[in-house]
Amino acid sequence: MEGLNRRDFLKVGAVATTAAAAACTYDYKVPQEEVLPYVVNPENVQPGLASYYASLCNGCATACGLVARNKDGRVVHVEGNPDHPSGPGLCTKGHFDLVAAYGPDRVPGPTDGRSPMSWDDAQKKVNDAVAAARAAGKGVAWLGKYRTGSAAALLDVLESSGLRRVHWELLGVETLLAATASAFGVDELPVYELAEAHTILSFGYDFLGAAFGSMGMTKGWAKAKNPAEGGFAAKLIAIEPRLGISSTHADLWLSASPGSEAKVAYAIASLAAVAKGYSGPATALLATVDVAAAAAASGIPEARLKEVAETLAGAPSVVLPGGLGTASADATELAVASLLLNEVLGNIGKTVQFGRGFRPGRVSSFADVKALLDDLSGGKIGVLFLDGVDLAHVAPAELGAAEALAKADLVVQFADEPNDSSNDKTLLLPTGSGLEGWTDASTESAVHVLGQPAMVPLQDSRPLGEVLLAMVKANPPAPVAPTTPPVPTDAPPTESTVALAAVVPSPVDVGALAVAAANFGEFVKARWVATLLPAGENAESWWRGVQAKGVYVTPINGVGAAWVRTTAPVLGSSAPNNKSLVLFSSHLGDGRWANVPWAQELPDPVSTYFWNTWIELHPSVATAMGLAEQDLVTVKTDKGSVTVGWFGSPTVREDTVAIVIGNGRKTGRYARERGANVAALLGATTDAASGALMLSCGSVEISRAGGAESGVHALCGSLTQEGRPIALAVNPVDAVEKLTGEPESILPIEHLEIDERVRTAGPVDMYPEPGHPTYRFATVFDTNACNGCGACQIACALENNTAFVGPDQLRKGRTMVWIRMDRFFEGSGENPDVRYLPAVCQHCAHAPCEGVCPVLATYHNLDGLNAMIYNRCVGTRYCANNCPYASRRFNYHTWQWPESYHLMLNPDLSTREMGVMEKCTFCVQRTRAAKDAYRDIAYAERTSADRPVEITKHTVPDSALHKLTACAAACPSEAITFGNWKDTDSKVRKLGEQPRAYTLLGELNTKPGVRYLARVNHNMPRHVAEGHGAEGHGAEGGAGEAHAEQKEG
Amino acid sequence: MSKELTYSQVNRDVMRPLFSPSMAWHALMALVTVGLAYGAFCWGIQLIWGLGVAGYHPPVFWGVYITTFVFWVGIGHAGTLISAILFLTRSRWRTGIYRAAEAMTIFAVMTAALFPAIHVGRAWQAYWLFPYPNQRQLWQNFKSPLMWDVFAVSTYFTVSTVFFFIGLVPDIAAVRDNTKGFVKKMYNVMALGWRGTDRQWRHYMAAYGFFAALATPLVLSVHSVVSWDFAMADTPGWHSTLFPPYFVAGAIFSGCSMVITLMLPLTKLFKLEAYIHTWHFEHLAKLCMFTGGILTYAYGTEYFIAWYSDNQYEWGTFTDRVFGKYWWVFAMMVACNCTIPLLWWFKKVRTSFVGLFAISIVVNIGMWFERYNIIASSLAHSFDPGAWVYYTPTYIEIGILIFSFAWFFLWFLLFVKIMPSVAIAEVKETLRPPLKHDEEAAAK
Repeated sequence: MEGLNRRDFLKVGAVATTAAAAACTYDYKVPQEEVLPYVVNPENVQPGLASYYASLCNGCATACGLVARNKDGRVVHVEGNPDHPSGPGLCTKGHFDLVAAYGPDRVPGPTDGRSPMSWDDAQKKVNDAVAAARAAGKGVAWLGKYRTGSAAALLDVLESSGLRRVHWELLGVETLLAATASAFGVDELPVYELAEAHTILSFGYDFLGAAFGSMGMTKGWAKAKNPAEGGFAAKLIAIEPRLGISSTHADLWLSASPGSEAKVAYAIASLAAVAKGYSGPATALLATVDVAAAAAASGIPEARLKEVAETLAGAPSVVLPGGLGTASADATELAVASLLLNEVLGNIGKTVQFGRGFRPGRVSSFADVKALLDDLSGGKIGVLFLDGVDLAHVAPAELGAAEALAKADLVVQFADEPNDSSNDKTLLLPTGSGLEGWTDASTESAVHVLGQPAMVPLQDSRPLGEVLLAMVKANPPAPVAPTTPPVPTDAPPTESTVALAAVVPSPVDVGALAVAAANFGEFVKARWVATLLPAGENAESWWRGVQAKGVYVTPINGVGAAWVRTTAPVLGSSAPNNKSLVLFSSHLGDGRWANVPWAQELPDPVSTYFWNTWIELHPSVATAMGLAEQDLVTVKTDKGSVTVGWFGSPTVREDTVAIVIGNGRKTGRYARERGANVAALLGATTDAASGALMLSCGSVEISRAGGAESGVHALCGSLTQEGRPIALAVNPVDAVEKLTGEPESILPIEHLEIDERVRTAGPVDMYPEPGHPTYRFATVFDTNACNGCGACQIACALENNTAFVGPDQLRKGRTMVWIRMDRFFEGSGENPDVRYLPAVCQHCAHAPCEGVCPVLATYHNLDGLNAMIYNRCVGTRYCANNCPYASRRFNYHTWQWPESYHLMLNPDLSTREMGVMEKCTFCVQRTRAAKDAYRDIAYAERTSADRPVEITKHTVPDSALHKLTACAAACPSEAITFGNWKDTDSKVRKLGEQPRAYTLLGELNTKPGVRYLARVNHNMPRHVAEGHGAEGHGAEGGAGEAHAEQKEG
Repeated sequence: MSKELTYSQVNRDVMRPLFSPSMAWHALMALVTVGLAYGAFCWGIQLIWGLGVAGYHPPVFWGVYITTFVFWVGIGHAGTLISAILFLTRSRWRTGIYRAAEAMTIFAVMTAALFPAIHVGRAWQAYWLFPYPNQRQLWQNFKSPLMWDVFAVSTYFTVSTVFFFIGLVPDIAAVRDNTKGFVKKMYNVMALGWRGTDRQWRHYMAAYGFFAALATPLVLSVHSVVSWDFAMADTPGWHSTLFPPYFVAGAIFSGCSMVITLMLPLTKLFKLEAYIHTWHFEHLAKLCMFTGGILTYAYGTEYFIAWYSDNQYEWGTFTDRVFGKYWWVFAMMVACNCTIPLLWWFKKVRTSFVGLFAISIVVNIGMWFERYNIIASSLAHSFDPGAWVYYTPTYIEIGILIFSFAWFFLWFLLFVKIMPSVAIAEVKETLRPPLKHDEEAAAK
């Protein structure tokens, strides 16, 4: 080494080391990232602190408001917008929509067939194709989901220049809309205000689930059911062949023979008219009703119908129309009859309101879709725009939608990922998530929701409005001369039209606004300002206010409408089927969420099945067929057949086969090869009255299929609670009467008849209860308001980065969702009494889990939480064994997710590696942040005034805690309340000390931080004042024995 | 016995396997190697992919591994019972069998000790279960029964091992005198300079008695502590004050059966019939009958208390064991532990090779299923019916179960190869001492 001095040595050494390091750099799928700090920090952006944007939920057509939580540039969570009339809470769909934004199958940009292209080329291709189609005398058609707001306004402009529009959804409103037109001559949907209804009669309306406007109805329902709020507990009567999440809470289930619901509804209407002494405009129509025939067709005795009619007539009520399960050939008449019932009962204008312009924009019927498909097959359509409708998946297979779509010269699909309707020729234009660009919607004339972007697009997508704007600009419409609003001259103005005229803005030349707008965001603003700006307001400041709130509401009151229908109904008279097919939707909706793994993973509330397609059968049918748990069943109609697994549910009629829709897609990495497509079973018969597809009540045969195992698995281990006091129920009279009585729970905390001396001494503790100096965080779950929808579960999963595990792991029960939704069938026959219990970590003060951990990885903290130190956990799983609530989750593997989902992870907490335990933390990252924020405020006050701060100033105010946790924030029925138990004035404390409050397995003396409010069920026996006697046991149990053994059957 | 045993004959007979193990020994060793390899493969998969490769079905978080752990700890009871307690009670029949039984104990505990590491989610951090000095000042939770387990099992292992080696000293010295070269050096170390002087014998016997007294309470404590893993939990079916005596009885029951299972073929294979008679096995069988009776009584008590307490969770668990999906496990347990061993009440059965061997294996199976029954069925049918499940093991768990047997037999086979499996010195105590005229007579 002669001649090598120190400097040279260092140089050589540095080069060699760098080379070695470079050689060893393991460039394995991990993209090289640059982490750059802000050089100049943008105003109001503090790294590590989230920004919140009020926006619009694009999960369905209802157009709820949401608040998107943007952390470091990515929307990581969404919650309901409390400023929106439907209030706080966000259903599962809103959460799925967030996950969909991060979907790994999203195309990176416009895609022509299989090859990517630029937006300019794509837009040019669309314009050229439209021009070519026009030149060739071919049609340009739009087939899309319901659209309102500015995008719909642009579509109106395009329509005026020859675009043929069809807006249809499988779970749509066409029947109800046709019925309202038929019954009241009103071109809008009724708004059902359930909060004041003492009796709710539903003919299968999915008013807590897939129905349009379900968020508002859920709120009203929860309020009506709460005996502490209005002094009454609403009674729900369900008349449908299969109970879903909207009707499992029914206090009375009268199952009419499938397809006869319309007759039943008319019969009840006629009986109610008698009871109510009705003599309004519908009298003539009522005279045509044959009650005896309805009773015969439905199998419900006339006396029962009369009872229902009298119950309805006796107190404020509401009658809800049919849903997917009652979508027979008479579906429109069923909806008319439900409206007739409301008319007869005097509900119109009260619990059933018109004049609010409630509708999801343009609504077409399936007959229009069929006509479009015919024209497509006939080669009459040059360019077809597909927007959010996966026709090839949802349309009855016999229509051959996929083949018809291939006949168009160009199919332009607005979708972020290819679906079953895409083919090699499809031009896929990614519109991005609603959170990435401007959207707006208005499904009530008084409620306008602004969907402002909450993050930059993750892919090269453009909002639909942007594309439409470009299309309008490419072919600018002629300016419209201002006109006066049309006033109906042939009829005297009704209340409804007067109310509408007050809020419906004078027509604005949307075309001109569009041509003038530089981009869609500007167009939205210009349109809002032009149509909604109140007189005398400054446009800019008003707009800023709207942006901040995300919603603009003008006060409007619902009004009634006059009955116009006189023609007697023509109802189907076919003989009842041996077995009828009934469809129902679960978390996947019509299939649009099938490629969202968290949606697939969320167990169906009734069966607790997942990742699959299955049928629900009455247990006795399964027993008669000799079905084993894992048997496959072939479901066959005259159109086709599918082979699926089965679930024995006592909430299905014996002559009914209920099948879940949504799965069976051919595309999407999580959707394909999952279950079967129910479209194979459907015919294309439409209801003459509305043009709606007859989805349910057709004849079906089922048979046991040999071969492989079905792979279905119920996450809820038992059908009933086997007489154990887990999910309790009380009689509403007790609940109301006892409210004013002693402040002690009417429910037995100990199930055992223990010695009186022991009882008076109280439970004996070996260790003192841990101290909670300031907070004892607690949650109250109102099982009376819980319908098992799963919004809390998905919200929890997204907030806390819990993984989806996939069907194989889930079949072993290895769900990572921290909330388990127990479902127990406690009733039978007319009293279904299905109880849901969201079971989470109870954060016990005397936690069985804490003592047994050998390494102290779980411990009780000063806030009352059972804290978990993931890094300390060795994974003995002793804590989970010792948890009586089975609420701990173990990471059996390091769960893998596609790269794209990493962006969605909440950076406020870590993901967990394989081998460690996890569980509900009461969203510790949120409580900690809230505590810090309020402590900072307190300290700021101290320094300014130089005085000691009282403890009350340190603590987070109760109002800021109610919905602090993700589950509480998400719950659409506001059944979950969070708070500080130490604060005796807190809402959680007041709820938790209600008479119907109880602690789960309280006799174990675990002193949980979670309390439940018992369900209120009209069929429960009265509680005896002595408290813990035999009747008290009646409060827990139920007629569960009938189902206890059916699982074996 | 046609010919009276002599000291030299004892040395020859007992040490024969040490110098010329049979073909059977090699064949068994080959089998063990295969089992070890398969088990190591299974464990490797589990370490890489996580515990999910096992069949765990929450809330059944424990399964085959803890079952097998308890099984082996239970097996580990008989040895010390035979060597220490029967020594203190001067039961003469222990002489022929206690060495192998003691070895079995140590290897069973060594096998059991694998399982805490195998079953935890992060095996690479299993050492956190030990209180060791660390700069983070992390400490263990001494309230946790798992912590007590760590101490109970390690204490038991330490004391049993020391006791075992002390018992070996005179015999190792005998072996040492018959070997040469490196092997001799090895035995030389283990013989601790034993020369068989009176003084050494006096100290030796005092030490032996002392360790026997020390080991005796451990026989009872270790399985009591293991039972607290369950009894201290609140799970119905586990939470019972009956568990410590019930587990100890079960442990002795299974341990003695395992001694029969091991010693019968060993006796045949290495032609030790002169030292281990049917008489020994009959005593073991009687011990099994006694502890098996306690066990059956305990099963009955469990059910009686579950019914008598009127605790619906507990009663639910116990009825589910019989009528639920785990009925077959319960049936296996009752048949193997309570019913079939009743055949031993017939002298003919408990003195025949087949009767002893077959039933001892049945008891071993039954005792494994007893633990499986307690663990799996209780967890699968706990408080909340919404969380009721059914757990089935996977091939990984079966593989590791096989691994545990291979691991155990590896050590046991090595033991019979390198150490005298019958206590030479103690056998000699029972013989007539060699006298000069005997030697002269033999020389003629």
